[in-house]
Amino acid sequence: MDEKVPRSNIIETEIPMGTVHPAALEPYRVRFFVEDEIVQEAEITIGVNHRGIERIMEGLPVEKANSLTEKICGICSNSHIWNSCRTAEIGLGIEIPERATYIRVIMGELERLHSHFLYLAHGCEVLSHETFSMRVFYLREIVMELLAMIGGNRVQYGCSVLGGVRPRCDVDEAKLLRLKNDMDAVEEGLTGFVERFLADSVVQSRITGIGVLPQKQAIELAVTGPTLRATGVARDLRTTMFEYDNFDFNVITQPDGDVRSNLVMRALESFESIKIIRQAIANIPEGKVVNRDWEMFDTDMNESYIEVPRGTLYHSYALESGRVRHCIIRTPSMANIGAMQYACIGDQITDAQLCIVQCDPCFTCTDRAIEIIRR
Amino acid sequence: MFGNTLINAILVGAITVIFCFLISTLLPGIERKYIHARIQQRIGPVVIAPGIMAPIKFMFKENVKVESPVPGLYKALPIICFIAVTCLLIALTPQAFAIPALSSLVAIVGFLKVEEICYVLMGALSKSVMSVRMPFPDQIKGAAHNNAVRSFVEDISSRRSLRMITYGSFPLYLALFAPVTQARSIFLSDIVAFQQLNGPFLFTVSGAIAAIVFFIGYMIILNEYPFSIIKAKCDVIEGPYMEYASKYRAIVYLTRGFFMMVLGVLFSVLFLGIPPVITSWSILINIIVALIFVFMMGIFSAFSPVFTNRQLLPTILGTTLLGVLAIVLGLL
Repeated sequence: MDEKVPRSNIIETEIPMGTVHPAALEPYRVRFFVEDEIVQEAEITIGVNHRGIERIMEGLPVEKANSLTEKICGICSNSHIWNSCRTAEIGLGIEIPERATYIRVIMGELERLHSHFLYLAHGCEVLSHETFSMRVFYLREIVMELLAMIGGNRVQYGCSVLGGVRPRCDVDEAKLLRLKNDMDAVEEGLTGFVERFLADSVVQSRITGIGVLPQKQAIELAVTGPTLRATGVARDLRTTMFEYDNFDFNVITQPDGDVRSNLVMRALESFESIKIIRQAIANIPEGKVVNRDWEMFDTDMNESYIEVPRGTLYHSYALESGRVRHCIIRTPSMANIGAMQYACIGDQITDAQLCIVQCDPCFTCTDRAIEIIRR
Repeated sequence: MFGNTLINAILVGAITVIFCFLISTLLPGIERKYIHARIQQRIGPVVIAPGIMAPIKFMFKENVKVESPVPGLYKALPIICFIAVTCLLIALTPQAFAIPALSSLVAIVGFLKVEEICYVLMGALSKSVMSVRMPFPDQIKGAAHNNAVRSFVEDISSRRSLRMITYGSFPLYLALFAPVTQARSIFLSDIVAFQQLNGPFLFTVSGAIAAIVFFIGYMIILNEYPFSIIKAKCDVIEGPYMEYASKYRAIVYLTRGFFMMVLGVLFSVLFLGIPPVITSWSILINIIVALIFVFMMGIFSAFSPVFTNRQLLPTILGTTLLGVLAIVLGLL
């Protein structure tokens, strides 16, 4: 362990923040233990947003349960329904048409773009740099409109179904052309933003060396997703997902694990997403978008892991008479809570929310019943 | 004869103050609508919304009970701030020059200090719900540090206000005393008379440097981004203003706009030698100066994140050194 170990014996003052705080997009509570405005330890408490989705899913027909998973998160709704369908598809051995796989990848990467843009905008907002924040939100708006074009909605798209994607989410030539043009616009805007952002010395002094999460600590805490990659670990589940077999992309890493690394990490990863979407537009095969030729049967627990904007998303459930049993969902923010607490230590309390935000928390997704098994 | 002159002076002074106050209600809207919103490529609020409509709306809102150990004093502080700013403007009018104790830089500094100390008291007396401990999750077995003393976000804000009084506003006071080095007097009447004879202090090397220092001090004392450490939304949220609602919040809003105007007028008096008089067209210069300051502040704040101590200390140190340079050059 390094010098960021909490010095519990000298802690005198606690500053609780939340569950409602303007710097936090969601309700969570943080207790900061501070000495002279320097955070010595942080404790995050969640649980005010628990909706019991797994419990509601219990016994539902699998198609309905899949739709319900989309309601877990407003930001990565597509990822949840995709992974939930994928879980059943793995268990039932359903073959997915290649065109449907491409559309799923396009939706997944568009969602990654809008999630990363939200992250960048929120990061700038917590820095109190509203101008940067607004500029990223304008870029995000293009992506949101593209998601609405394909999925029909700006948030809940209902794109994936068992066996592929809904026919209404198929992409014709006009949609592909708009997608291509808008990717050019997003890339141009993002390039301009990144150049301006990195050239701003005041912003850089606010984010460099703040909220450092060392690589060793990140691995010990089982951190996942871009937060892990920002510490220099090149681990991206997309490299193992069959959906991405036909796509060429780089796993982006950053060396320092601080706020700057995390912000730059997301920005660079967005360029990779644009690259993947362009490949999908260029190579999308003709054919049907959904395979209806499958049969339902009972299965044991089926598991599926996918890489979503915040890290590894896990879904598992068994199927019994076409109904869902023993559903378990684990979102990436669950794995990253330890990192959020750790990142705050040693920095000023003004930077504390920034240190939490750098791990891209999504507590609304994460709020679910946890069974802790002590061995 | 003397009675008529006195009544006329009081009337002119009072109308000047009221006129400046009315103009000041537009300044927050101008900053948000024509600077922040334009830079951020959005429509922004109606120009009269932040400075006029919002206070009127708050006037008719129901008040909330404040969680303060001395609620009476806590609620009186915005009014004290408003009175201090009004007195500051009265001291700048030529009618007040007849009262040397009021129209001297010592009095000006005193009024500014009252306004600053109010923030310390506001923060210290506010105990908002934002920091109230949740008994169950915070004290449950397994929670970290059950016996730590609870502090409120407003306490941090109070300590930061004290820090700003100690060294944060130092550049502004240095800039205030820079014109004294040339006029060789702390009385505003002498400073104005000196500039009317020898030209504005602003157009000297010392004056130009002091003007830069004044502008940075202006942003610091107005708690504007990037210097808004006492009410940074990323940690202390609204800071000392957290629990002000209804008419008290309306006064907070009005005071801020008025303070922007008065500081602009203060600059006109000290650096241009033009005091505000409603009977003279020169009051337009006071208004233009106030607008220029608002525009500049809006541009700076739109392109900067909020500072922490790491950025604040070097900035204040550098600005203080510039202020010292301005004074030294003025003395030479």
